[in-house]
Amino acid sequence: MAPRTRVDAFLPLTTPMLHTLVALADGDKHGYAVLKEIARRTDGAVRLSAGTLYALIRRAEADGLIVETDERPDISLDDERRRYYRLTPLGRKVAAAEIDRLQAIVEMAREKKLVPRPRSV
Amino acid sequence: MSPARRWSFADRIFRALVRLFPFDFRADHGRDLEQTLRAQHRDARRQGSLRAIVTLWLDIARDVVTTALREHVAILKQDVGYALRALRRAPVFAASAVLTLAIGMSAMTGMIAVLNAVMFRPLPVDRPEQIISISNRTGEGFRVSFLDLQDYRARTKVLADAVGYAPRIAALTADGRSERIMALMVTDNYFAMLGVRPAAGRLIQPNEGRAAGDAPVLVLDYQYWRTRFAGDPSVVGRTVRIGAQPFTVIGVTEPVFRGTESLMRMSAYVPAWMNEAFSDTPASSAPSIFVDRAVRPFTVLARLKPGVSLAQARADLDVAAAALARAYPLTHKDLALRVVPETHTRPTPVLGSFLRTASTALAGLAVVVLMITSANVANLLMARAASRGREVALRAALGARRGRIMRQFLTEGVTLALLGGLVALPVVVVAMRGLQEIFTGVSAIIDISPDFSIDGGVVAIAFLMSIGAGVVAGLAPALLAGRSDPGGSLKTGGRGAAGGSGSLTRSGLVVAQVALSLTLLVSGGLFVRSLHHARAVDLGFNPDGLFVASVSPGIHGYDTAQRLAFYERIATSVAALPGIDHVGWTSLLPMSVITQNASVVPDVRPADPDWQPPSAFRFDVSPMYFTAVGVPILEGRTFSERDDANGTPVVIVNETLARLFWPNQSPLGRHLTAYGTAREVVGVVGNGKYLNVGESPQPAIFNPLAQTAPSLATVIVRTSRSPVELASTIRQTITRVDPGVTLFDVRSMTTHLDNGSGFFPIRLGAFMTTLFGGLGMLLASIGLYGMIAYHVSQRTQEIGLRMALGARAADIIRGVLAQGGRFAIVGIAIGLVLAAVIARLLKGLLLGVSPFDPLTYGAVAGLLVAICLLASFVPARRATSVDPLIALRAE
Repeated sequence: MAPRTRVDAFLPLTTPMLHTLVALADGDKHGYAVLKEIARRTDGAVRLSAGTLYALIRRAEADGLIVETDERPDISLDDERRRYYRLTPLGRKVAAAEIDRLQAIVEMAREKKLVPRPRSV
Repeated sequence: MSPARRWSFADRIFRALVRLFPFDFRADHGRDLEQTLRAQHRDARRQGSLRAIVTLWLDIARDVVTTALREHVAILKQDVGYALRALRRAPVFAASAVLTLAIGMSAMTGMIAVLNAVMFRPLPVDRPEQIISISNRTGEGFRVSFLDLQDYRARTKVLADAVGYAPRIAALTADGRSERIMALMVTDNYFAMLGVRPAAGRLIQPNEGRAAGDAPVLVLDYQYWRTRFAGDPSVVGRTVRIGAQPFTVIGVTEPVFRGTESLMRMSAYVPAWMNEAFSDTPASSAPSIFVDRAVRPFTVLARLKPGVSLAQARADLDVAAAALARAYPLTHKDLALRVVPETHTRPTPVLGSFLRTASTALAGLAVVVLMITSANVANLLMARAASRGREVALRAALGARRGRIMRQFLTEGVTLALLGGLVALPVVVVAMRGLQEIFTGVSAIIDISPDFSIDGGVVAIAFLMSIGAGVVAGLAPALLAGRSDPGGSLKTGGRGAAGGSGSLTRSGLVVAQVALSLTLLVSGGLFVRSLHHARAVDLGFNPDGLFVASVSPGIHGYDTAQRLAFYERIATSVAALPGIDHVGWTSLLPMSVITQNASVVPDVRPADPDWQPPSAFRFDVSPMYFTAVGVPILEGRTFSERDDANGTPVVIVNETLARLFWPNQSPLGRHLTAYGTAREVVGVVGNGKYLNVGESPQPAIFNPLAQTAPSLATVIVRTSRSPVELASTIRQTITRVDPGVTLFDVRSMTTHLDNGSGFFPIRLGAFMTTLFGGLGMLLASIGLYGMIAYHVSQRTQEIGLRMALGARAADIIRGVLAQGGRFAIVGIAIGLVLAAVIARLLKGLLLGVSPFDPLTYGAVAGLLVAICLLASFVPARRATSVDPLIALRAE
């Protein structure tokens, strides 16, 4: 299937998909690293199962949001030959667009005083 | 992972779990997934808490199963969508494949519906799996006496309860209108044991109607209540008449219940204690069914106690039977019981096993038809795979893996088969209704109404068979696609995919089709020959020019004197019609579905202490009967005016009985006892066939109609007039005698024989097998034609070249024919062996023809050779008519 290029067509992203893209934003990672990163950053609130993660990766790859990369970090750090994934420019745009979308909703909620504004602002 | 690494138990499980994912998923991410699972497991163990490990395992199991399933469904959706789009692009191919499969699926689904009715569908009662049938294996018939039934209930520890029932023909009168119905005489605990609920009012309760003075009550069948009383609830509490006796309607059965007689639909249920209403004998003898162990009217069903096995029940009942045999040596000597699940006794404990064999054999033939259709569609798919070689190669080049492409082909096969099944379903519903009609037409003496309806179970099995047929159809092309070399195919424009092994597989499929259709045709041929033999069998009378019609004045409340007067008046007025030679009466026609039997004892009882009175067919006939049907009187005389109720009881025996009782002596003047009456033998008549055409000579006795006055009788008319014009004349004449008495089974003797037990089973077998055989042959010839046509089209260029170089058309045609002939010969050789195996199984159903009848085998083989040659000739002719130049340019 040809990858969808119009960013909006991918929105909204599911929570696991958004987390996966965000996890890859600061560098290439293998699947297990993505899982651990998501669990750590959300204090365990979001836990992806392995099967779900690879199904997500598969879809994201097919849609062109991520690609498998040939570059490996220091081989000594990586005992098993794992596949590493990298966020594509499209994936980066899609993730950003999703966050904008969420931000807009948050703004709207703040205006309606559903949630307090951060004090520092 | 290093090879030295030892596989832990967990590793093995992870590997197994990953296998659950679709092929492509595994290929892309299987190893990573496994590694991740191992890493998670390692981390959980490092934490050291048992809880973490257990949580992880549960999590993994749930996740893997749901994700794998979701991935499979996604692929399936994609493949089915792709298959449907591909089929829409090739509508002719799609239609022919779907219709071909629909033929096979129709045959198969129809047979499943029959098998379901005959041996699988549970009775619509409470916990039907506990219901067993208890019947007599020895003595006259399978039925059980009332007292024996009570002993089985009381003396065994395995039965929760047991009920007895007996179907009866009755005339039910309500609102001034009278009609013949089938009523079931039931013991008081019948509904309670089965757990049937009322749709209106209440049902017969235990101990109801047992006392002599109890008011007669009746329960209506739901369907009958709907059709006869328009479902009017106020019928409950009203009085209707059975025969001459008033009955109060107390309730209606629930809609799902259709009685316990699998092939008959009951209209009403009556407590057995009220059986006088149905009785055609004087009322005084009626109660004997409750006190006489020798009178065995009841079909018995019992409910096993929870946890009791069939074997335990058998053992316990055998002990009870042995005790009865000791206690009543005169009537119960050698008593043995048949204890089987209720599903094995349809329509009766005796016919059950025969019907199961026959339907299983027919279902086997339906499987063969389905296999032929699958092979045919496999061939179509292969041809298409060959022409789609370029597409397949393109997809492969674009990264589709082999497993994925194979899966796609299988999905296509299954999609086609499911569509075929969908087309077949309405066809089968209509066909089953037709089949039901055929059975209903057998005889109006009893209402045969098997339930061949298509229920959820049938649809479910048909669905599974569809998938099976689809897999079979898709397998060969899938394997071929799996083997094909994408590069080669792209280069040769798609024909490469049909490489050597592919065409070998296709040839194999055609050979299989020829072999399988030969098997079907041989079965059909054997049945047709049987039918031919059956019609030529000497029945002991001459059926041509005979016309019959039945009446049952007894159920309309006629007493014996009124019946005889009624029969006499009809005989006189019919005999007065022009063109009528003779008119006779009989209580029952030979080859009716039901028989009357009597155990007969000669005046000098044989000295052998183990001697058992034989069972003879019993007919009650008028003096003119033998002349009318054409049975020769070999010795003595026929009945006369003097043999009436006031005369000496007399009897006429057939040759077989005479030889059995009085070998080398004249039986005239001797006596025999039947039904407790000693009768003097006044005549001996020729043997005949009484129940089926295959039977060996059986003893029979003929009583004078005037001394028995049966409640139901059939008038037999010998005439030179055509049966069609006679039907309405006879109808009018009999109606003039008494318009209140219904007339049934008005037809020629030949029609009676076709529908009765005489020819019906063979006719049905011949019809079904020739239908299946014809379908198989049609499909095989289409398959062969397609195959040869394809081969010829592949060789167009070569043929063109040869023609251009001077080859004669006849040589080319001969070459192509030889190719078709080779298929035929190999297929026929295999088919002959297969047919012989199947024919052996059919042996018990054939008549007068060996299962290895050379004429049938030869004729079928010849027919198939001719068809194979014809199927090859058409494409061969077309090939030679092609302009060589065009053929050469075709590339």
